[in-house]
Amino acid sequence: MAAYVLRRLLGLFPVLVAVVLLTFAANRFVPGDPITIMLGDQGGNLQLERKLRREYGLDRPVAVQFADYVGKLAHGDFGLSFRYPGVPVTQVIKDALWISPLIAASALALAIPIGIALGIVAALRRNTLADTGIILVLVAGLSIPNFALAAFFVWGFALKLHWVPVAGWTTWQHAILPVVLLAIPAAAYLARLARTFMLEVLQQDYVRTARAKGLSERLVVWRHGLRNVLVPVLTVCGVIFGGLITGTIVIETIFNIPGLGRIAIESIFARDYPVTMAIVMLFTLFYAAINFAVDVLYGLVDPRIRVEAKR
Amino acid sequence: MIAGKLMRGLVVALLVAAGFTGQAQARDLRININADPEMIDPVTFSALIAGDVLRNVYQNFTRVDETGKVLPALALKWTASPDNLTWRFELRPNVKFHTGRPFGAKDVKASFEALLTPGSKAGLQLQYLQRIVGAKEVQDGKTKDLAGVKVVSPLVVDVNFSAPDVLFPVYPFMFFDTQVVADKGPNWFMQVSAGTGPYKFAEWKRGQSVYLQAFKDYYEGAPKIDGIRFIIVPSEETSVTMYEAGELDVLMVASTDLARRIMRDAKLKAEAQTVSAAQINYLGMNQNLYAPFKDKRVREAFCISIDRDAMTRGLFGGLAQPLYGQITPGIPGYNPAVKKIAYDPERAKKLMADAGYPNGRGLPPLKIANLAPFRNEVAYYADQWKQNLGVTVDLDLQERATFLRSLNAGETPFFSWGWTADYPDALYYLSQVWYSKSPFNRARYSNPGFDALIDRATITPDNQTRYKQYAAAESLLLDDWGTCGLFVRTAVALVKPNVKGVVLAPMRMLPYGKVTIG
Repeated sequence: MAAYVLRRLLGLFPVLVAVVLLTFAANRFVPGDPITIMLGDQGGNLQLERKLRREYGLDRPVAVQFADYVGKLAHGDFGLSFRYPGVPVTQVIKDALWISPLIAASALALAIPIGIALGIVAALRRNTLADTGIILVLVAGLSIPNFALAAFFVWGFALKLHWVPVAGWTTWQHAILPVVLLAIPAAAYLARLARTFMLEVLQQDYVRTARAKGLSERLVVWRHGLRNVLVPVLTVCGVIFGGLITGTIVIETIFNIPGLGRIAIESIFARDYPVTMAIVMLFTLFYAAINFAVDVLYGLVDPRIRVEAKR
Repeated sequence: MIAGKLMRGLVVALLVAAGFTGQAQARDLRININADPEMIDPVTFSALIAGDVLRNVYQNFTRVDETGKVLPALALKWTASPDNLTWRFELRPNVKFHTGRPFGAKDVKASFEALLTPGSKAGLQLQYLQRIVGAKEVQDGKTKDLAGVKVVSPLVVDVNFSAPDVLFPVYPFMFFDTQVVADKGPNWFMQVSAGTGPYKFAEWKRGQSVYLQAFKDYYEGAPKIDGIRFIIVPSEETSVTMYEAGELDVLMVASTDLARRIMRDAKLKAEAQTVSAAQINYLGMNQNLYAPFKDKRVREAFCISIDRDAMTRGLFGGLAQPLYGQITPGIPGYNPAVKKIAYDPERAKKLMADAGYPNGRGLPPLKIANLAPFRNEVAYYADQWKQNLGVTVDLDLQERATFLRSLNAGETPFFSWGWTADYPDALYYLSQVWYSKSPFNRARYSNPGFDALIDRATITPDNQTRYKQYAAAESLLLDDWGTCGLFVRTAVALVKPNVKGVVLAPMRMLPYGKVTIG
């Protein structure tokens, strides 16, 4: 297992290198330039422009800038923000660091039980009214865009019913709507998968055997059905988490949450290269970490994988 | 049992990690700002949102009321010497800094020196110190003592200039207790508040809010509320919903689209404050870059073929006023008698024909430059010129930074753009936008008669005399059709009925020192 973990961690390294290279290139080669944005009304003041370019090290060749950036990064130095003069990148993203992953993880934690439960109920009641009803809800959950549903939820639950606040991030109640909204499409997706897998599992020989030897239907579903459904469902959780993390970008903007997603958007518009790069790297790390966790969980759910890893 | 405790601990830890504090909102005034302030210290101060926050914390010699009248603030009296080379300021007694130390003449001098110190990264205020005797020496690091500023007595300070600077008392300075730099180091402003204003800086949670706390020892009496929370809300849609749900007491409205929507909603409209913003919007016609603009008749034709009344009513839904001169109402020096520009398509057509371009024939291709958010305005002008003059003007919508850069370089032949007043005096518009030597004379207009009047005004301390010079200069510019005004936007803010003392002025919100929440 230790070797397996080590191998996975080493595999992360080239991924990060590629991410640094790609985001650096993307940042530098899109139109727009942080110095002209900084200059604002003073745009065209060549003396000031030269001074700022020198101060921010942007007067050097791109290759030198890149080498410098990577060198500092190796020492854990993300550099200074362009948008907030003199403020280190770590300072800008420090408070926001846990917000996006926390929202995404909460949404996933909410989506998994609900999604699997709905999927299994639909599978067991196949071709009944309940099944059709659940499928209808799932299609709606998957196809109505987040921001549209958000407007509707805010109007209903915040403006009319006053159950939750409209926007902000000061009390835990502020997290309810964002998490629920993110969880809805994820739960719908999981439910569809769970339904399909459950239907497949229920037709397997071992299920027929279990039924034949007189096991109660509940035991058949719980012991033989659910466990086998969990493996493929867990696999997609990693991918879903990636989607949720990026989904926070929209949700954080709508609900005015000072998370990484919103900072990412703002820094991209302000051409704040160092902040943008740090956030992309963090998102990559979160994504890698959750996939890693999923891989380890496999072993717990499916003993065959544990055996494979041992060999 | 243990599991329960663990669970509770975990939840608390998660809430803390998420940054939830569950603050009690006692009697705080809650206002939206659409981004983090760019900075929070008075030295580097140079931008709009920072100004909205900092004006409540730091103060100047003078302040301006909602009608544009200049009133005493930290100075009670200011007098110019006969040669106009010295201003004497008699300061307000019994003023305390937030640090507890008294404010006096030495702090005026020290604040200026802090701005001029090499490497201070000083912002907006630095340009206003250039004419003080000895400023350059301090800036070059030759001395730390600003020779031109003399502490006469603890409450009297003299400022000497190498050339007259009659508007010095109204420049937007922010005096602060410079002792904090020695005590707390260069990043003092995140730890302490060092102003004299009604509120002291308490906390800045990036992306979330800035909190100012009432200053109990404020010289006009402690504010009646506990503090002000500026909540950072980038999305305008979200900010309106928050206001409707009672999560904001004051809503600053940034876009005209939203302002129009608000004014159509009877309930919201009843809570709206409106005022003409201190921002001119004008037509820039560069005579060096587009030869037909050398002909005054062409310039006039372009100016009088825009129906300003129809535009402000239609395009802006009444949330703008026609602008005829180059000074906005509510700014000292504004001339209410400025000549109206009559909408006269017939005369415009004739002028074009006289100039040799009947129905626009023979006119070289022409593009009007601006930014995408303002495309409706330029599209309207272009449509009017097509209809009234037969001239096809293409839209040239640019990216902001590129646009400003090319404007400042004087490389844009034709544009419409605005200019917002930084200090309350008409000279700001006239000398920055139309004086031939100003770097912000973006149409590169040059009129020696106009320049001479402005030169004279800058050495005339008497307000009424100076305002007459402004009026003369303005009419020279307008009669020459060097430019023409287009419109003045109406600023809109919503204020909850239980909140009193919030005043929207041409130069944004007045400080919130007298606010009460019922």
